[in-house]
Amino acid sequence: MSDLDRQIEQLKKCEPLKESEVKALCLKAMEILVEESNVQRVDAPVTICGDIHGQFYDMKELFKVGGDCPKTNYLFLGDFVDRGFYSVETFLLLLALKVRYPDRITLIRGNHESRQITQVYGFYDECLRKYGSVNVWRYCTDIFDYLSLSALIENKIFSVHGGLSPAISTLDQIRTIDRKQEVPHDGAMCDLLWSDPEDIVDGWGLSPRGAGFLFGGSVVTSFNRSNNIDYICRAHQLVMEGYKWMFNSQIVTVWSAPNYCYRCGNVAAILELDENLNKQFRVFDAAPQESRGTPAKKPAPDYFL
Amino acid sequence: MEVVVDDKDLKAAGAQPLPEGRRGLRIHGWEIESHKGTILKSSTFQEWEEKLDTTHLPEMVFGESGLVLKHVKTGTKIHFNAFDALGGWKKEGLPPVEVPAAAQWKFRSKPFQQVILDYDYTFTTPYDGSETIEMDMEKDGNGKILDSSSSLQWEDCEEKIDMVSLASKEPILFFDEVVLYEDELADNGVSLLTVKVRVMPSCWFLLLRFWLRVDGVLMRLRDTRMHCAFDDSASPVILRESCWRETTFQSLSAKGYPTDSAAYSDPSIISQRLPVVMHRTQKLKVSGNL
Repeated sequence: MSDLDRQIEQLKKCEPLKESEVKALCLKAMEILVEESNVQRVDAPVTICGDIHGQFYDMKELFKVGGDCPKTNYLFLGDFVDRGFYSVETFLLLLALKVRYPDRITLIRGNHESRQITQVYGFYDECLRKYGSVNVWRYCTDIFDYLSLSALIENKIFSVHGGLSPAISTLDQIRTIDRKQEVPHDGAMCDLLWSDPEDIVDGWGLSPRGAGFLFGGSVVTSFNRSNNIDYICRAHQLVMEGYKWMFNSQIVTVWSAPNYCYRCGNVAAILELDENLNKQFRVFDAAPQESRGTPAKKPAPDYFL
Repeated sequence: MEVVVDDKDLKAAGAQPLPEGRRGLRIHGWEIESHKGTILKSSTFQEWEEKLDTTHLPEMVFGESGLVLKHVKTGTKIHFNAFDALGGWKKEGLPPVEVPAAAQWKFRSKPFQQVILDYDYTFTTPYDGSETIEMDMEKDGNGKILDSSSSLQWEDCEEKIDMVSLASKEPILFFDEVVLYEDELADNGVSLLTVKVRVMPSCWFLLLRFWLRVDGVLMRLRDTRMHCAFDDSASPVILRESCWRETTFQSLSAKGYPTDSAAYSDPSIISQRLPVVMHRTQKLKVSGNL
């Protein structure tokens, strides 16, 4: 058994790798990812997965439902880390699979694959707690800069973490972005990872936060038409039912973190496409409590004031 | 701090746990119960949007979750739920708060036909609980409930909740924490409304907390505490103290406090750094003359 296969077996048990092993793995992953396009081509059949957010045991449920990699070809739409308890193990397992089976798993970048966001929402603290230093966080966030920004399945389905950008009308415009950087606060790269479809606007909307685009049905229609694609598949937003179509089936949101944050009670979904691009959503629940490493989080009575 | 509720303590306090499958207890004429459910399904979510006349709700609304404290003899019911809290948000209707990146965005070329949304995405609410009088119609036999419009009147008062006696380590007979709604502000911070309750042999005490952090901009903490001492009189008194605190990251920085969001993940640790902007004490006499 090679070192890499052994590491994959170890990660599947939710045991993190040694710091030196993470460093070596990230170097190998970098060599592979640097060759990928900003619009990475993906062949069908493929199974598309949305946000995971460090919910390692729920990702194992995902693999139970969808089949193991490399037998199943996977596309993950980003947000591997933050919020959940096991961002380290989750991201490293996906990365190890990528290095081992580069043509059978595609990882694209979510807005949480960023230095700034991970310092606030959990991944940074988790690395510090599990390794006693921030080196692993550094290796991982350096790798984030190499992740592709989107994928194109059989030239027909455009996949991205967040959504569209008013600065982008053709896929070629995405191909020209210099992606090897921290996610910027504005511009096309930021929009692809952050924007959301919105029912109440038709064209473009600006979030009440003063930053962040919202896009309506006519924006999606014209993007799909000019790029000759059937529909857009994205993640980024929690959906109670695991997936949600909008704008007459021109865009679908896929959400793959069941019982999000261990308390929402939502189901998760993955989208399976066969070789003819026929769709099947597979809906799944969170991993049962007994299969998790840690006991249930019960509120401990406290003398709050 | 782990506290194990033991049967002996319950018995000694004259309390009874609620029947199997329910969370809570009966004590000194009160029935105290918490409910926990999942976030709203898409269909219910839309119904709520229509009822509240809004196009946006927090992404996590725990519509079936809540806390109910009912004085059985008088039918006085103090309760906490997401729907009423969001009604308060809608009514207050604060203007939106711009995130730091908004400054840069002003210089971006605007797409043609841009609509700027302007609802209060922080879901800030003045909610301090709901109250009704609810009598079980015993003669009806169907367990039907008469929901009379409330004649309950909170009055401003000088008394304060006795925090010293609450700091004493009486056994906790019932404890729970219930999330009513939560939003991640699209990864720009947190908006969270929760209610915590603890019941001791001498009283019940609860904390309803709205906690908002808009990363790099501001923090808001709106606490409502309620306390009721058990004295077995026919008309117990509930004290309610509301304390609102608010500050900007800019003013924290001027005072030399850290300004990274990670330092402000737990409001109970940093609340003292936020200046008080509103404080009010009220009481409610639970009367039996119905």
